[in-house]
Amino acid sequence: MAAEHAAAADAADSLDTAPLMLGKQDNTTLTGNLLAHVWARPDKGWLLSFLIALSGSGALALAITVTLVEGIGAWGNNIPVGWAFDITNFVWWIGIGHAGTLISAILFLFQQRWRTAINRFSEAMTIFAVMCAGLFPLLHTGRPWFAYFMFPYPSTLQMWPQFKSPLIWDVFAVSTYFTVSLLFWYLGLIPDLASLRDASKSTLQRKVYGIFALGWRGSGRHWHNYKVGYLLLAGLSTPLVVSVHTIVSFDFAVSLIPGWHTTIFPPYFVAGAVFSGFAMVMSWMVPARHFLGLKHVITMRHLENMNKIILATGMLVSYGYLMEHFIAWYSGNQFEWFVFFNRATGPYRGVYYLMLFCNVLTPQIFWFKRARTSIPIMFIASILVNVGMWCERFVIIVTSLHRDFLPASWDMYYPTWVDITLFLGTIGFFSTLFLLFLKFIPAVAVSEVKELNEELQHRPAPVTVVTGA
Amino acid sequence: MEHAAEHAAPVGKTFVLGRFPSGEALVDACYKVREKGFDAIDTHSPYPLHGGDEALGLGRSRVPRIALTGGLTGMFGGYLMMVYMNAFSWPLNVGGRPPHAPPSFIPITFETTVLLASLSIFFGLLALMRLPQPYHAVFEHEGFRSAVNDGFWLSVALPPGADGKDASALLQQLGAKEISTVQESME
Repeated sequence: MAAEHAAAADAADSLDTAPLMLGKQDNTTLTGNLLAHVWARPDKGWLLSFLIALSGSGALALAITVTLVEGIGAWGNNIPVGWAFDITNFVWWIGIGHAGTLISAILFLFQQRWRTAINRFSEAMTIFAVMCAGLFPLLHTGRPWFAYFMFPYPSTLQMWPQFKSPLIWDVFAVSTYFTVSLLFWYLGLIPDLASLRDASKSTLQRKVYGIFALGWRGSGRHWHNYKVGYLLLAGLSTPLVVSVHTIVSFDFAVSLIPGWHTTIFPPYFVAGAVFSGFAMVMSWMVPARHFLGLKHVITMRHLENMNKIILATGMLVSYGYLMEHFIAWYSGNQFEWFVFFNRATGPYRGVYYLMLFCNVLTPQIFWFKRARTSIPIMFIASILVNVGMWCERFVIIVTSLHRDFLPASWDMYYPTWVDITLFLGTIGFFSTLFLLFLKFIPAVAVSEVKELNEELQHRPAPVTVVTGA
Repeated sequence: MEHAAEHAAPVGKTFVLGRFPSGEALVDACYKVREKGFDAIDTHSPYPLHGGDEALGLGRSRVPRIALTGGLTGMFGGYLMMVYMNAFSWPLNVGGRPPHAPPSFIPITFETTVLLASLSIFFGLLALMRLPQPYHAVFEHEGFRSAVNDGFWLSVALPPGADGKDASALLQQLGAKEISTVQESME
């Protein structure tokens, strides 16, 4: 009876087939099973992953120390390749963060109900990814302890930042993005922290969660303002996320380097960001929903929808590649054409073909429902997409720089161990934060899932009933 | 002794609490309780109730105006900041571009607009909700811990001196369970 009810309610969306929530749930069971992974003692798998991630963070600390002691010379950057791994990693991480905002804000505005179970997770990813991203330009300044020079403050030097530079736009864009994402995430968390506070068994837990819950008591007078505030923050985050990657792409597009100076960069970067971000969410969600026991709220329908978005954004990215090459040829500009010819035939062609394989070919598999609903396929594809998107940024940055206008200045870039350790270290740091998040904070937005459950159960009977499978 | 106690400590606010079986029952009860003249009521639920704002008689939220104020401040503040710094205080000639270069100032103007609007929403919300407020009289009742998990509670704030018997009786009549009267601890 319960299953029938759920299936009937779900069939109201004529195109929906798989349910958004499995089994008959109510507020009590949801409180129990969504918070269970927070109360459970960490198991061996978590501890082992955490140790590996923590060693990654340690490696990051080591690489940062070497960079600070020796200077940027510890990296493989040279003239003409002044930007290499650092900016590649920066753009890659920022892009990964964008899926979080897309899921939490844009899908919220479009009232996509399937967003509810995965938004908390993706927002956390945004925050951690932006933290990793910010590290690279900071270190690349060479003297990060003077990084505050970039902010407009009345200094004794009597100088102000130069606001006509895209690099200063970036400072404002990334710091605003981080701040707004954090506020949005925390605002959404408050009811769940209160839920943790009041479901906790020990005094310590009650106190710690109590501090962060700010005394939330589910008051109707609070919800009244809270709902509006949350909606407005979602509304603001939506153009913000587009602006951030647009400004990141301006770092390149506003310059005069062939291969960078193109008008397609802003939309092409935003599409790439969403593409890689969804892939990263997928790479984490597939194991997390298994190990945290969240399969009843993060269902196959969620995963399938995400794969559809990966396919759509993958096509957008492919279109970007196509237009970039077409315009390079059509413009008749020999420098522009040379860059693209060199990408496919030059010394970095391996990275270029890997990029094409991962970003253009791999997502095509999601045309097939069997692939969209197969856990191993989507997991491997999501990893490949992440690899591909990293390659894309490497190709854009390094291949455009290493062949300067003057053949006499041509040079090759090879990463040093410090470059590689920094990159792998940020993956470790990201994983450390993410594993801590999965341990101490509910991985799904409990309050929102309860509201969704209520809606699913009380949805009015549809006029045209489509028989549910 | 009794006499001394009465005058020594100020009396905290008193609330009557009652738990309803569902969100709809709680929303219905709100209308009925308000009909009887209890206006200082509040609902407590794990998620926003459908029709809860109307049931409590709440008007339009002030948050949009706060957001607009913050956004406009960020927009004009950000733009004027750049004009002052790059065109008046320290005009810099970068590649012959004019010191006051509107197109180049747009991206940061946008970012400061969003930043200030978001900060004002967040802190404006906290101010409107009077949070953080770690202690509230309703937490005196142990069963109230369900309010953020699976309970639907109604709280009626009593005027000073009232014993709350009429409110309790009304909640009882409306089908509330776990009815109790809590008093703010003044310690």
